[in-house]
Amino acid sequence: MLKKIDLDARLFVGAALALFFIGGTLTTVMPPLIDKSWGKPFENSDPSKGPTGKLLPYTAQEKKGLAIYTREGCWYCHTQQTRTLLADTKRSGWRGVDAPVSTPDEFVYDSPHMFGTKRTGPDLSHVGGKYDAQWHRTHFRNPRDLVPGSIMPPFPWIANNEEEFQALVAYLQRLGRAKNWRPDNDYEK
Amino acid sequence: MEEQLVIESTHAGTRTVTPTLHRDATAKWFLISSVSYFFIVGMIALAIAAKFVWPELLGTVSILTYGRLRPLHVNGMLFGWLLACDMGLTFYFVPRLCGVRLWSEKLGLATAGLWNVIILGAVVELLAGHNQGLEYAELPMWLDILVVIAWVMYGTNILMTVATRKYQQMYVSLWYTMGTILWTPFVYLTGNFATLFATGVNQANLNWMYVHNAVGLIFTPVGLAIAYYFIPRASNAPLHSHRLSMIGFWSLAFVYVWTGAHHMLHGPISQWLQTIAIAFSVMLLIPVWTVVYNFFATMKGQWQLVRENVSLKFLMSGVVFYLLTCFQGPMHSLRTVNAIVSKTDWIPGHAHMALLGGFSFFAIAGTYYVLPRIYNTKLYSDTLANWSYWLFMIGGLGFFVCLWLGGFWQGWQWNNPSIPFIDTVTALKPIWMVRFFSGVLMFAGITAFLYNFMATILYAGAENETHA
Ligand code: HEC
Repeated sequence: MLKKIDLDARLFVGAALALFFIGGTLTTVMPPLIDKSWGKPFENSDPSKGPTGKLLPYTAQEKKGLAIYTREGCWYCHTQQTRTLLADTKRSGWRGVDAPVSTPDEFVYDSPHMFGTKRTGPDLSHVGGKYDAQWHRTHFRNPRDLVPGSIMPPFPWIANNEEEFQALVAYLQRLGRAKNWRPDNDYEK
Repeated sequence: MEEQLVIESTHAGTRTVTPTLHRDATAKWFLISSVSYFFIVGMIALAIAAKFVWPELLGTVSILTYGRLRPLHVNGMLFGWLLACDMGLTFYFVPRLCGVRLWSEKLGLATAGLWNVIILGAVVELLAGHNQGLEYAELPMWLDILVVIAWVMYGTNILMTVATRKYQQMYVSLWYTMGTILWTPFVYLTGNFATLFATGVNQANLNWMYVHNAVGLIFTPVGLAIAYYFIPRASNAPLHSHRLSMIGFWSLAFVYVWTGAHHMLHGPISQWLQTIAIAFSVMLLIPVWTVVYNFFATMKGQWQLVRENVSLKFLMSGVVFYLLTCFQGPMHSLRTVNAIVSKTDWIPGHAHMALLGGFSFFAIAGTYYVLPRIYNTKLYSDTLANWSYWLFMIGGLGFFVCLWLGGFWQGWQWNNPSIPFIDTVTALKPIWMVRFFSGVLMFAGITAFLYNFMATILYAGAENETHA
């Protein structure tokens, strides 16, 4: 078999593509058909099943915020996923309350997805409501004014552009808010 | 017997070739542009490494912010330098392995031209912030379409050359090149087009399938094609085993495509898919070890050649880095290890060892080997070439090692939630300083490489004029 392929270019092409397509379709086309939670927006009104809430589609302003987040490459430094690791739920948590683990149904409207691969800065999956808009403005102007030792770049052109700033903050304040996880509902605006 | 055949067909390439058979115009243009981009994008690499240490640097100008330069660095190195250089080298060896001229130099030159349009377009678009938001697939749609067109032009040229070949048996380098040509469109279409029709986790899964296979089914096979061609060439020894190379090839073809989801271990993606990705990631050891064993066995009894031959130095160091990186990969995909190293600075250390330490070393080796041959001259300076090797090697090792140690330490700190995040940032500053200075060394290596490359071409031109 191997020897035949060695001499016949057509057989080679067929075999190389066939092997590729077996793995390719089984790992990309099949999974969303099997696991429906990839495509169904989060919704829960029964507290005994965990945090309640509902994932809403993006408003036009939030969408614009996502576009700015994409344009400025925030996602090269920030992930958006609280993984099934204790440290993640604690670090994304707030005042001693652990954040819930991220599930596929919280991200159904995301395009481009912002899961990220690198945490140069902290995970932002539950940053919605952690700080108020004024904090964000100061932070974007110069992160080191608020957090000495930070290596986040300054973004004065966002802080000084009211429309862009509002859009980006609207986007950030929505992150992690599909699930109502902070018991006192003490989210900042 | 089988082995014998292959050696003959590989060697026959040079034996029957008279200087007039191969024109190599396409190879020349691909190499010249790729080596130039290596230098230009190298400066961007230095700038972003510097920003980790001096975050204010060039910080208030939007087009020079970290988030715009980083995709330019990644895309510039992947497509401007590495893939272009790899294509240039295949334009050199495919006709030789087939014993015929390149099917069409005209088409080849047009491909080189189009490729330069793509890279220059990418520079403008990425600096302007026109980023699609998916890793490795940042380029806007019009550039994606041009990439596909360029790839079809490239693929047609190479496949037609293979179809008109004089030697029936195909040496492994031909298979790996053909594999790259066949898989790339599907991998690329998944990452740049299919993702547009998906959202959320579904989109992420397609994205990781693409990212992983851009390395596994594009840079790996074409990189191995180069190593398989140049290791026996530069050491003047036949390949150890043709059969082993077949096992390596077909296991790579089967295993790689299953592993994309290992980029989201512990993340919001189905557990069973994570497990499948882990199982196949571990199986990746098979193609890697067979390939590496084959290379080492080929060098058996020939290691003294490495001292004198700069191509072999790059090749064999590249093989070692390839082995290490492909040992790391399966190990990170184990859940316990992943819980520490994932999302840390370890990961860029790993990615750079694959694409810089492994595949770029192969490409540099190939370039040093073919340059004097296509220009019918001698390398401008062997000493300078040797310097470039040591600069790359020391800079590269500094870079990889500091990021592994730093990344591991970072992950260890993250797993202790009582350490505030910002303390884990400031703790890494010395590491990022070492990374920056390692980058300076590597950039010096790139500069030496570029200078030697250009000087060789210019002197060859001057020499030919005086002869004429
Ligand atoms: C070079 C990497 C980098 C980039 C790019 C970056 N950040 Fe950051 N970010 C950091 C670091 C490091 C911190 C932690 C220190 C701090 O708070 O400044 C941080 C912190 C944050 C925080 C506070 C998180 C918390 O829980 O305290 C927010 C919000 C944030 N960044 C948003 C953004 C947005 C929005 C962008 C894009 C406009 C962005 N970042 C781009 C590195 C980065």
